[in-house]
Amino acid sequence: MVVTLITIGYFLLKGSSDFSVEPIKIGVIAPMTGNTAFLGEGIRDAILLAKENLNGTKYKYEVIFEDDQLDSKLTASAVNKLISVDKVDVIITFGSGPGNVVAPIAEQRGVVHFGIASDPNVAKGNYNFIHWTPPSEENKVFVAELQRRGINKLGVFESNQQGAAAVIADLRERLKGTDIEIVTDQLFNVGEKDFRSIITKAKNSGAEIYLLMAFSPELEVLAKQIKEAGVDTPLTSIEGFELTEQVDLFEGEWYVNAADATGDFISKFSAKTGKSPTLGVANSYDIFNLVVATIEKIKGSVKPLSEEIAQEITRVKNFDGALGNLSVNEDGLVISKAAVRMIKDGEPATISSAE
Amino acid sequence: MAIFLQLILNSIIAGSVYALVALGFNFIYGATKFFNLAHGVVAAIGGYAFFYFARILGLNIYLAVVLAIIFAGLIGYGLDKLIYLPLRKRKASNMALLVASLGAMTALQAIIAILFTSQFRTLSQNISTQKLFEVFGGVITQTQLIILLVTFLILSALALLLYKTHFGRAIRAISDDEETTRIIGINTNKIIGHVFFIGSAIAGLAGILVGFDTGIEPTMGLNLLLKGVIASIIGGVGNICGGVLGGFFLGFVENFGIWKISGEWKDAIAFALLIAFLIFRPRGIMNK
Repeated sequence: MVVTLITIGYFLLKGSSDFSVEPIKIGVIAPMTGNTAFLGEGIRDAILLAKENLNGTKYKYEVIFEDDQLDSKLTASAVNKLISVDKVDVIITFGSGPGNVVAPIAEQRGVVHFGIASDPNVAKGNYNFIHWTPPSEENKVFVAELQRRGINKLGVFESNQQGAAAVIADLRERLKGTDIEIVTDQLFNVGEKDFRSIITKAKNSGAEIYLLMAFSPELEVLAKQIKEAGVDTPLTSIEGFELTEQVDLFEGEWYVNAADATGDFISKFSAKTGKSPTLGVANSYDIFNLVVATIEKIKGSVKPLSEEIAQEITRVKNFDGALGNLSVNEDGLVISKAAVRMIKDGEPATISSAE
Repeated sequence: MAIFLQLILNSIIAGSVYALVALGFNFIYGATKFFNLAHGVVAAIGGYAFFYFARILGLNIYLAVVLAIIFAGLIGYGLDKLIYLPLRKRKASNMALLVASLGAMTALQAIIAILFTSQFRTLSQNISTQKLFEVFGGVITQTQLIILLVTFLILSALALLLYKTHFGRAIRAISDDEETTRIIGINTNKIIGHVFFIGSAIAGLAGILVGFDTGIEPTMGLNLLLKGVIASIIGGVGNICGGVLGGFFLGFVENFGIWKISGEWKDAIAFALLIAFLIFRPRGIMNK
């Protein structure tokens, strides 16, 4: 009888102590297969690197990866699985489309969500945040570069998706009062492969440079068809050229992208993976570390509630991240800088950074 | 004027792709009287088979094209023998055949994605250098010119086959009344099997050419099928000349439609045209 009671008591106590160290689950939705799998792989490697570097934390951290192929329909099933089955505490998404799918669900279900996205709508609500270079920062650098190069007529080829729309809407505002005008804006649907007629329409617009706002594979097909149409007008992009593996299509072209990560992060990442960081990699590394640092800061030894995590994130100031000194602003945005880059010898290279 | 000429050229290029898909689709529909939704994925199989033979096995391009076309044809033949023929023998309705073809399409699409991943690939890369031709101030690529020529060659070959051979007469007889054709001693199942082989081989060829022009991905078949079906309905479903006419008509309406409005409405224009035909001329341009 005594032995039985001791045994039951032992297991009850063991159970309760296990409960107190219940792991914090972080769900990551990124493209692990498909045309942008190379981006998802980079994000996965960065988060695993950040997790490996954790030392002496109060809680255990578990990361669950879900593949959405950057397709919003797949994002919806991935987020429902992460919340309902895996019971994650935090979700990280990549892209404005997926971010816009997850944001309302995260808000409704009270789960902290960090998006790597251009569209500020992704950060709406108390539980949603963004860590990405916002369109305003990118366009500031983009317009300055257009002015520096004396370009006044801009042609736009724009994929019909939230991220591109957010960037172009901000760009239109920023161009007001400058000498630069958008002489043609050709909108097309995701999945389109025949751009010949919109290229024909844009060809006679007098554009001095074409801004391509598209994901892979539309971006590559569009660039190929522009060349096939005999158009030799220079091409540029905001983020776009790093959304494809076929960067050689844009050899010698300049574009605007998120600023470089710190040298320390680049060496750590390259040592682990043997590759250079791709788009969103430093952001995902920062988000993981920022979330962990925030959770560790919350007082008590019982796993914090999502509400507490979200509130603590809003108080983050001067966080030392892979993308420099980071703070969360009143809109839930962790802002990082933009830079002008160029494809040189098949590799992206920064040619000038924002002040 | 230059824009106008280039738009005409763009319409012909897009129309020839739609026409090529509609040719195979109409050829099969003419004999079986059901919408073979797996026709699009057979086009994707053609593209991927070429990719496998030419890029993975490193075979000669022309040999790879021939093998890929035969492979696509065999897939179509296999679909008929394994799925559609047993259903026809059980007197299954056309709706049951349509649902079965939808299932085949989904399964084959998934198999392609498993074998080759869902990544978009361009067949022309590292295989041939794209030559550009200037026609009346407009530009057309070598691949697009080949697509156009192939469409008319296939149309001529099918017309000859249908109207100048015993085999063609048998197909037309099946198309008119399969039951009576069987009673007079023609092995209709064998003929339909051959029709599936030929129609699917044409789809496979379309998949290869589209792969050279833009690229291949496992889901490419659905879009090709939709445009091919619209072209068939516009021209006259089951009528091979109608399919070609419908393909070019669709190409012109889509490309001139987005001249003044945004390119995002291109698919909407195609479907609006389909609805208009279904309401005002449901049998299409060629069928009375």
